[in-house]
Amino acid sequence: MPRHHMSKTPLVEMIDIEKHFGGVCAVDRVSLELYPGEVVGVLGHNGAGKSCLMRILSGAMSLGSGEIRVNGTPVTLNDPNDARAVGIETIYQTLALADHLDAPANLFLGRELKTRFGNLDDARMLEEAREVLARLNPNFKNLRDPVYSLSGGQRQVIAIARAIYFDTRILIMDEPTAALGPSETAMVADLIRQLRSEGIGILLVSHDMHDVFDLCDRVMVMNKGRLVGSHAIDEVDKDDVLSLIVKGELPSDWSARNLEAAQ
Amino acid sequence: MSHATKSATSGGPSLAGFMPDTEKLHRLSALLTLLLLIVGFSLASQAFFSVNNVLTILLQTSVIGLLGIGLTMVIITGGIDLSVGSVLALSGVATGMTIKAGLPVVPAMAFGVAVGAGCGVVNGLVVTRLRIPPFVATLGMMLMARGLALQLTGAAPISQLGESFGRLGNGALFRVVEMQANGFPKVIFPGIPYPAILLLIVALAAAYMLRRRQIGRHIYATGSNEEAARLSGVRVDETKLYAYAMSGALAGLAGNVLMSRLITAQPSEGVMYELDAIAAAVIGGASLSGGVGTISGTMIGAFIIGILRNGLNMAGVSAFIQQIVIGAVVIGAVWIDQMRNHR
Repeated sequence: MPRHHMSKTPLVEMIDIEKHFGGVCAVDRVSLELYPGEVVGVLGHNGAGKSCLMRILSGAMSLGSGEIRVNGTPVTLNDPNDARAVGIETIYQTLALADHLDAPANLFLGRELKTRFGNLDDARMLEEAREVLARLNPNFKNLRDPVYSLSGGQRQVIAIARAIYFDTRILIMDEPTAALGPSETAMVADLIRQLRSEGIGILLVSHDMHDVFDLCDRVMVMNKGRLVGSHAIDEVDKDDVLSLIVKGELPSDWSARNLEAAQ
Repeated sequence: MSHATKSATSGGPSLAGFMPDTEKLHRLSALLTLLLLIVGFSLASQAFFSVNNVLTILLQTSVIGLLGIGLTMVIITGGIDLSVGSVLALSGVATGMTIKAGLPVVPAMAFGVAVGAGCGVVNGLVVTRLRIPPFVATLGMMLMARGLALQLTGAAPISQLGESFGRLGNGALFRVVEMQANGFPKVIFPGIPYPAILLLIVALAAAYMLRRRQIGRHIYATGSNEEAARLSGVRVDETKLYAYAMSGALAGLAGNVLMSRLITAQPSEGVMYELDAIAAAVIGGASLSGGVGTISGTMIGAFIIGILRNGLNMAGVSAFIQQIVIGAVVIGAVWIDQMRNHR
């Protein structure tokens, strides 16, 4: 637990979340807390239930049973708009971009800016997009091209821009650096640190141990739909986390080592 | 629009975003085809380029054009509407029966259009609620609407609907008629047919809706990547429902134009019109896989089909050969569409 946040109300609490598909239990009574300014790594094999849990929180998937609270208030997230309304933004691994639309249209998709007469305000959306994209990538010039013609990095930047442009309090990032080169990965890392300093809570789904240990305050590991560990990042090392991911438990010598470290 | 000029690209304010170079190229080639057809037919027949024939083409194309506009919206969402030809007939019949029941022409026509919109709403609900693929859903509607039109009328045309019913289809703006000394009227300028004016208005309204309104943006987004649109908060089902309803309403409008022109409500009219309308949209650059298409492109496509039919008629080509030619054009257009997607 990040000690310095213990006094505050969690940004998000997911309590006893369950989700079944047919007879398969994808998420089995998982609880999660995220505090302001905290980066929590969500880890696990493919199919361990982490994507499912994240999709429930982003409103893309219905809740089986359990409760979600935002700032202590119970919320119902029936669709992505509900999640966005309470400040939960998601960067999907697939990026979720409409390929034939340009960057500003994608950035504002579903939340288009309009003129007084209800027309799309493309000029203003272009200006806003230019500004926010330039902050993430100064070389982003081809704003009017359909996004299918852009590079993987540029597409990622649009997806990130869309998640931070609006009044974001909780950010879910699903493999945000998987499609990126080294310099863009560094940019995303800087961005995560900056957002954390602004008090935004971040759930980082990642397979990249380096990213996780570099950026996260805490790790949550899922295995076969269950939460098998939630640890402050300085309590565990890479092997401990791998053991949790693969075996669903910490190495047998973990508590001993941890006691040593404490002394 | 001053802000439009700010953008570095050439097209309209938001259009450039949806118009990659390949699409511009496609539309340019369609326009070129249209010009070639006009030149070719003008050389083949002197009467082709006469004022009267140009107006005839406008009139003939207006029905396909109206259907094509509705289909363009549906096709951009990634769907298809095979029912428009039958819905056209059902709407015309509905108007005819309402007039027979004693209602004035204008409300009767409004009712006919509403019946078309209703068919479209049913299409949209079957697609979005029952999750039936659009091809099957609208194929079912195609059979049901046609069957209903034939059943309601006993397969017999409804005639003697009065002169005012024929005004929409046969009237014209700026018609100049001079009374001759012998007492017979002489038409100096036949005027711009109302159907052509209606087509222009509907096309402008549809283009505005697709480019400048949120619903238009969502129609493109839905067809481009439905899941992404959904995750972005676009109400995908409502967007599709809107597109199918518009397609139905425009089929209803086209039905009224056509029946008005015949001054008879014909339950068997409009068979296979959906194919001409789909062909118009695809020739004009709309992609059957969704996310791509413009009203101006569809208008070019509609005129290519209209001129092809008219020109072949004028050149004395038999109706059978015409079918072969149009069929080849449809295949060619879809082939071009596929090549574009295999880029």
